[in-house]
Amino acid sequence: MPEAKNIYRPLKATLETVIDESPLIKTLVLRPEKEFSFDTGQFIELTLNGYGEAPFTPSSSPFVKDKLEVTIMKAGHVTEKFHQLTPGAVLGIRGPYGRGYPVYNMYDKEVVIVGGGCGLAPIRSLLYHLIEWKDRIKRVVLCYGSKTPADCIYKPLFRELNSIPKFEAHRAVNVADETWDETEGVVTVLLDKVNINVPDSVAVVCGPPVMMKFATQKLLSMGFPEDRIYLSMEKNMSCGFGKCGHCMMGEFFVCKDGPVFSYDEIRHLPDIWR
Amino acid sequence: MDKYYLTSRGSFEQFLVSRLTESTIYAPFRRLNVLDYERVNEENVKNIALHEPLPATPLKTFFLPIRKNVTLDVNGSLPAIILGVPACDLAALDLLDAVYLDPAFPDDLYRKQREQTILIGTDCHSHLKHCHCTIYNINPFPERNCDLVLSGYQSDVFIRILSDKGQKLLKDMCSRIPVQEATAGDLETVKLKRMAVRDDITRQNQGLPDLKHTSTLLKQSEYWLWKKYASTCVGCGACAAICPTCTCFLLLDRPEFEKVRQLDTCQYPDFQRVAAGEDPLSPLTVRFRNRYLCKYVWRPERYKVSACTGCGRCIDACPGNISKNELLTELNTGEVKISQHA
Ligand SMILES: Cc1cc2nc3c(=O)[nH]c(=O)nc-3n(C[C@H](O)[C@H](O)[C@H](O)COP(=O)(O)OP(=O)(O)OC[C@H]3O[C@@H](n4cnc5c(N)ncnc54)[C@H](O)[C@@H]3O)c2cc1C
Ligand code: SF4
Ligand code: SF4
Ligand code: FES
Repeated sequence: MPEAKNIYRPLKATLETVIDESPLIKTLVLRPEKEFSFDTGQFIELTLNGYGEAPFTPSSSPFVKDKLEVTIMKAGHVTEKFHQLTPGAVLGIRGPYGRGYPVYNMYDKEVVIVGGGCGLAPIRSLLYHLIEWKDRIKRVVLCYGSKTPADCIYKPLFRELNSIPKFEAHRAVNVADETWDETEGVVTVLLDKVNINVPDSVAVVCGPPVMMKFATQKLLSMGFPEDRIYLSMEKNMSCGFGKCGHCMMGEFFVCKDGPVFSYDEIRHLPDIWR
Repeated sequence: MDKYYLTSRGSFEQFLVSRLTESTIYAPFRRLNVLDYERVNEENVKNIALHEPLPATPLKTFFLPIRKNVTLDVNGSLPAIILGVPACDLAALDLLDAVYLDPAFPDDLYRKQREQTILIGTDCHSHLKHCHCTIYNINPFPERNCDLVLSGYQSDVFIRILSDKGQKLLKDMCSRIPVQEATAGDLETVKLKRMAVRDDITRQNQGLPDLKHTSTLLKQSEYWLWKKYASTCVGCGACAAICPTCTCFLLLDRPEFEKVRQLDTCQYPDFQRVAAGEDPLSPLTVRFRNRYLCKYVWRPERYKVSACTGCGRCIDACPGNISKNELLTELNTGEVKISQHA
């Protein structure tokens, strides 16, 4: 009998490597039992066998099919367990789910990316995509904010980006120390430093809710149209495919209609930053 | 009226008994003041309560039990016939099917169970205090989402076919018991009773806004209304558990990468809490309001079907004595009808 497709059953994946990114953030490099494709910005549900499940956006390149990286911040029960894993562990993945970044709308444009904290995970995948597509875009400006220098993740990525033509990466920390020679302050101050040609640009924002709120307000004040600001919404999720109701935000299922929305799609809803 | 067939109650019972080897049959039975589905057997078949409103258990529970391991494709039991389903619960299948048969992510277990189940709807010959289906364009007699419709009067049982599955079952019935075509004269009783029940339900719900107007009113509603009505809500979730269209759930993890789907509701704390501790559905007043907006604004906008069938179960079930209908009537007319929140 052919195996009926069961939407609830995860695919197995073996943990190959664990990379320490910061005291609270690790990247797990996974090898799925069969090829796994996703669009940048789509997410997966990662299962710890018999224990729990949580949604993560792969932080690796969407062009790589045999491996998958997820960057996980320790935030509670399940994420804490993910941090304790060692290579060889077998995990479950469901997905990919949702609507990722509209990379086609970035053709021939300047792309301004504002990220905070672990919000850099989906953004890294987007950056890998844009690096692959560098002939088709005008410029990519990354503005990344974190609490302290120790909380900055993907350190090698910043060096790499600044060496690629058309790409530039800027960082800000809320609280600097003696080692820090970049910007001190909230991430939005970086937007004042980079010279963006707004009519020719699209913006992408991903990070903690407060950061997204202020970044969106800043981008609007800079003249970005509402339909060219893309936000990654984080909601509680269980199923990932529009049935369980946990992620409902007004008439939207964030898991299925998002997690990436343009600001104009959701601005009519109350409390989107909660 | 469409074509109806006619058999007798006695013959119909004989038919059910003769089908017991092929199908598990469920039908409503009354025990004291509770009407609910039970399995039919040779002894109890005589006591089936065909036309009373309203089985305590909503139809959804057959397809979406409170807890189910959804990674095991087990389907051991005999195909089921569910008899005596009221029109409101059948109407709820519009939404259930839209969610669970979504072509992007069809739930195969749900689909199989829907396919293997024969639904026999029945007319309601009376109504309960909180029945309000007609306000939401649902008649108290089944017209869709089932395979056969039964209307019984004294010893007569009238049968209408609504699907291929129903056609097949009727054919099988004809091979086992005497069935004839009903005449227009026979059907006069059916027609009159239907209209009478329908009009009674509409009459007892004066002031309750229709679906479209409810949606408009809710979008304009103010916080005081929610604060007032939620003041006796204890967040028990009974309203959602008993609702034929509430099917939100949580997936639980089991060894061997198995998942258990457990019904859940936005009425419980932490339903939408995220890791940082933010909870968009806190405090309770916001949660309470969420269920109304979901039913009358968001789900209808998204699926183009109604998410409230007017069954009234949530009103009966609420330990806080909160009446959805009083809330909506007050919102509509400004009149306060109740003692509880006056
Ligand atoms: C689309 C999407 C993509 C994400 N991508 C990443 C990523 O790349 N890296 C990263 O570090 N984090 C990401 N997150 C956040 C991550 O899923 C949460 O931090 C994680 O679910 C917390 O689980 P926990 O059990 O450790 O937390 P706890 O606080 O212990 O969670 C307890 C319960 O709350 C629920 N819960 C809490 N927060 C969330 C949440 N945000 N989403 C769903 N359920 C929640 C769960 O049901 C869980 O059982 C993403 C979230 C979403 C929605
Ligand atoms: S909201 Fe209440 S009246 Fe409407 S379908 Fe659900 S239980 Fe029945
Ligand atoms: S049944 Fe009543 S008390 Fe319980 S959650 Fe629903 S409204 Fe609140
Ligand atoms: S996570 Fe289940 S509906 Fe979105």
